[in-house]
Amino acid sequence: MKREKPSKIVIASCCIMGAGQLLSKQWIKGLLYLFIFAAYVTYMVTSGMNDIKGFFTLGTVRGDAWLGIQGDDSIMMMLRGIFAFLLTAMFVALHISNVKDAKGLAKRLEVGKELPGFLQATQIFLDKKFYIVALLLPVIGVLIFNVLPIIFMILISFTNYGGDIVPPELVDWIGLGNFEKILSLTEIKDTFFRILSWNFVWAFLATAVNYFGGLGLALLLNKKCVKHKGFWRMFPILAYAVPGFITMLAFKFMFSYGGPINYYITMSGHSAIGFLDIDAGWTARIIGIAVNAWITIPTSMLLATGILSNMNTDLYEAASIDGASKWKQFIKITLPFVVFSTTPVLITNFIGNFNNFGVFYFLRGGLYNDGYFLASDTDLLINWLYNLSIDNNYYGIGAAISLIIFIITSVFSLLVYVRSDAYKKEDTYR
Amino acid sequence: MGKLKKMAVGVLCASMLLGCVGCGDSKETAGETIVLRILENDTAKKEGYLDALLEAFNAEYKDKGIQAVDANMDEYTDLAANGPYGYGPDVIYQANDKLMTYAEDKHILPIDVESLDCYSVTPEAAWEAFKINIDGTTYTCGIPVNIQEPMLFYRLDMMPEDWESNWDKDGNKVADFFENWNDLYAYSKYLRDTDTSANGDSQYGFMSSLNNLYLNGEFLFSYGAYVFGSNDDGTLNAADIGLSAGDAAKGLMAMKQMASLMNEGCIDDTIIMKRYEKLADGSYFCVVSTPDTYSLFIEKLALAYEAEGLSAKEAEEKAKENLMMIELPGKLPADGDLTKSSDAMTEDDWIDTVVMGGVNGYGISSYTKYKDACMEFVNFATSYEMIQTRMNTLGIAPTRSDVAEASGGVTDMIFESLSEGRIYLMPSIKAVDQIWVPAQSLMGDIAKDPYREAAGELGKYVTIGQLEEAIEKVDQDIYDAIFTLKD
Amino acid sequence: MSKKIDSVVTHMILIAVCLVFVFPILWLVLASFSKSGSIYDIDGFFPSEFSFNSYHKLFVDTAMYDYPNWLQNTLYVAFFSSLIGTVLVILTAYTISRFTFKSRKMLMKSTLVLSMFPSFMGMTAVYLMMVNFGLINQLWSLILIYAAGAPMGYLVQKGYFDTISNTIYEAARIDGASNFTIFVKVTLPLAKPMLVYTALTQFAWPWSDFILPNLLLKNKDLWTVAVGLTHLGETEFTRFAAGAVFIAVPIVALYFALSRFLVVGVSQGAVKE
Repeated sequence: MKREKPSKIVIASCCIMGAGQLLSKQWIKGLLYLFIFAAYVTYMVTSGMNDIKGFFTLGTVRGDAWLGIQGDDSIMMMLRGIFAFLLTAMFVALHISNVKDAKGLAKRLEVGKELPGFLQATQIFLDKKFYIVALLLPVIGVLIFNVLPIIFMILISFTNYGGDIVPPELVDWIGLGNFEKILSLTEIKDTFFRILSWNFVWAFLATAVNYFGGLGLALLLNKKCVKHKGFWRMFPILAYAVPGFITMLAFKFMFSYGGPINYYITMSGHSAIGFLDIDAGWTARIIGIAVNAWITIPTSMLLATGILSNMNTDLYEAASIDGASKWKQFIKITLPFVVFSTTPVLITNFIGNFNNFGVFYFLRGGLYNDGYFLASDTDLLINWLYNLSIDNNYYGIGAAISLIIFIITSVFSLLVYVRSDAYKKEDTYR
Repeated sequence: MGKLKKMAVGVLCASMLLGCVGCGDSKETAGETIVLRILENDTAKKEGYLDALLEAFNAEYKDKGIQAVDANMDEYTDLAANGPYGYGPDVIYQANDKLMTYAEDKHILPIDVESLDCYSVTPEAAWEAFKINIDGTTYTCGIPVNIQEPMLFYRLDMMPEDWESNWDKDGNKVADFFENWNDLYAYSKYLRDTDTSANGDSQYGFMSSLNNLYLNGEFLFSYGAYVFGSNDDGTLNAADIGLSAGDAAKGLMAMKQMASLMNEGCIDDTIIMKRYEKLADGSYFCVVSTPDTYSLFIEKLALAYEAEGLSAKEAEEKAKENLMMIELPGKLPADGDLTKSSDAMTEDDWIDTVVMGGVNGYGISSYTKYKDACMEFVNFATSYEMIQTRMNTLGIAPTRSDVAEASGGVTDMIFESLSEGRIYLMPSIKAVDQIWVPAQSLMGDIAKDPYREAAGELGKYVTIGQLEEAIEKVDQDIYDAIFTLKD
Repeated sequence: MSKKIDSVVTHMILIAVCLVFVFPILWLVLASFSKSGSIYDIDGFFPSEFSFNSYHKLFVDTAMYDYPNWLQNTLYVAFFSSLIGTVLVILTAYTISRFTFKSRKMLMKSTLVLSMFPSFMGMTAVYLMMVNFGLINQLWSLILIYAAGAPMGYLVQKGYFDTISNTIYEAARIDGASNFTIFVKVTLPLAKPMLVYTALTQFAWPWSDFILPNLLLKNKDLWTVAVGLTHLGETEFTRFAAGAVFIAVPIVALYFALSRFLVVGVSQGAVKE
């Protein structure tokens, strides 16, 4: 049987995907590569090239529905452009793998080894590289539905999209224009820092209240004198199970002037309290923290319960013998144990609270305070973003601000995460 | 690198390709019948008007091969987001401010309105709400159907027995407190003062959630305030914001006085939410609401009568007999002082009430494939018979003068108010989105002032000067919201 | 004696806490049984008269608000999202916990970072993408998105797999089992509480989300319960309450039936021995 020269195989694969494999009679593999190659080329010719071009121009024809001119949809073009880039990146990766594969084949042929059959090779791959197989689908899903929108949003922050510039108007790339605007406009700068500082206070407070609230509840339930633990645990779980938007709407009405709380206050002869009024300030903030606690404490209680059940009770006995008080035992033994074993969860909770959209959107939407640009004094950055980009349509600016927030939060949490015990000891635990 | 990964990626690429290829418009084959998707509002659906309309239209146009169906979408569907991709309705019924934001970006078509049957019988003011100036040419992009303005709802059986002797000084058979605001204030105060219930919360006069600009616009627009000024060519100028124009601060002072006779519910949405029940149980004498909520008031009032022992049918009849919907009192004091007795005031001390209102109407989506059929539909839907049916089923105030005249009563009065400029129409430009939150934040805060003072705190808006400053700040905030981020 | 006082105090606090948790829910439940059909005329927390009217209306008066249909849609979406999502999450968590490979740490860090993005900022992109694929007004486009996003929350599950000792796998490996066999025969049975926990959380999310369905489902007959409820008219509060209570019931029942797994799931996932 005549074999092709090894170098030829590699060159063939370099030019046309799968050609080398076909030359070395790896039919199935070769055809698969070839098919992908053909598919990609067809895609590029039919729409890919245009999409990439469109990504840079963001459209040249302004649509006019009255005249029947189907104009360019800039935003759609950007999206399709990103998509084309993604596909191209995947194609390049595949092409590299194809060349590597061809090199491998060539090497084997050179030393005269038999080439493995398709089925056999697949089986070996499935087992040896199980992680690739297993992660392929999740990674692709996340890429398309999470990463692509994020790339899209980041790119939007470099355009003038929003305000009057919405389809059918054409959107343009404006470089760092949005960021310059944020830094040069005092209203926006002031609002940004005001909200940022409250946002941090909120995130710390909310996380702490939820965390320790849950821990306290779990400790309480863990006491020896408490019988029927399942019964007591039922109530918080009830709160856990009701969909969040329902409880939030209910709470809003509960704290309004016409709600039951004010009803009882006025019944008892006091004047009604504007819990969520425009000048409510810290009252509204505290109510937000309480409502948030109501919603999240059940989860952290479950978490703490589980952790406490894993604790080594010997430590306590030893401490009791040493005569340490209950409080001291808690501070010295329980707390460190719980905190250290839950750092990643704490970070997730912190970020979750930092970006907690629902609470103040439901409780106190539709208010703007003095000294805030399109925001109220309880709004978190994420609420402000919503006001800017969804309610008021300033999408480009909103995207730019969210990019800034994103950088702050990700740097912060990555630092904490990488320094956490849970991460450091990650490889040594077993 | 192995094969399986490659294979999987290959399959994925192929499927994506298919997805891209298949994403072109899947054009419906028109076939014999043209199907029009009609978006109506929820009340029209609930009360059965939409069904009646579709049935009548489909019977009439069966031979011509046109069929109209319910668009089956949310009544506030955003045409700008859905229309371009083929997911919008063909004909859309919404308020003028909403429709005209679509028109700005040409999402709805300009209409040759003179060809419509309703053209000659609809007042110019209503058409005005749907006009837009693009590159120097004026187009009309919507067909007015009915007028929306805040109305006063009250129960006939709750009128004071002595109203003809004590509350109708001019003897014109209309109670004074429905004619001018000073008497409305006086009567509300009287009700409050004579409230003998334990908590003093069972007898209120005029009630309204004051944090709502649309429902309480009379406190601004009667006094010369406006939303946007005009350019020389008659188009609106979003840079000229005039909520503080004229004597707006005086109007706000009147509003503050009115707030002191309500309860804290006027600071937030409480009164809006409770108005149906509270009117039905008699604790509110009169409340502000829009005409399209008429059926909701009837529903709750009938329930209340039922609880008193009437049968369901009797209760509904009695509710219809007793529920009254009238326009807000026509005269406000020029100096903004409601506490003065109306006896001491001369003709010059009054100004006309100007409320904020809107015109709801039909628009035709630019993305419809059947423009002519849509025209047929809107022409049919705005015909005398259909508008009359609409009025009878939904209690709306039509913009067709012939229907309004024939029905007489309130409907005709609303119609007149529109023609005579006593309704300030919501401006039909996009920038109007920015006025609500700043204005309403302030109005709620002013409404809170009497309750601050009652609780022993210092009021924030005691003098006219303070109100002036506050409302000017609102203008500035709105300006900033519109222009700060513009290029 | 002091023990007794301690016990009394403990129970008093517990009762107070439970009241705090149960009260708002009780209020919603009672409102859903109120006769007047509105919560706004209830003075204080309790309605004066009770009836099943709201529930009756919920299921019979479907001309405007087709609740049974919403329920069906929700069930369909939640069930399949949960099924596919659970498989993807478990697979991801197991793989990242069990295998060491080049890009592993990078993957872990990037998921942490990715999860910090405000999701509504990407909604326009998701909408346009779905328009592009022709997936508007398709219930399974929701399933696709929910399931695809699920692996982002793999951290709890990974923590759980971290607690399973390596020796079990190694023993199986010596017996000649392939990685796939190990996953199916060894890992999955071990991870039963985690599976239940994951399935439950994956089920609960589509059950109560209304942003995404509101964006992708234009036709009213495709609405899910959450979307439908947020579109109820202002005077329909008891119908809202009834609808809310009704969709909470299956979730609550599931949580109780599976609360054993829940505790294990939530806690094991976070704990490192």
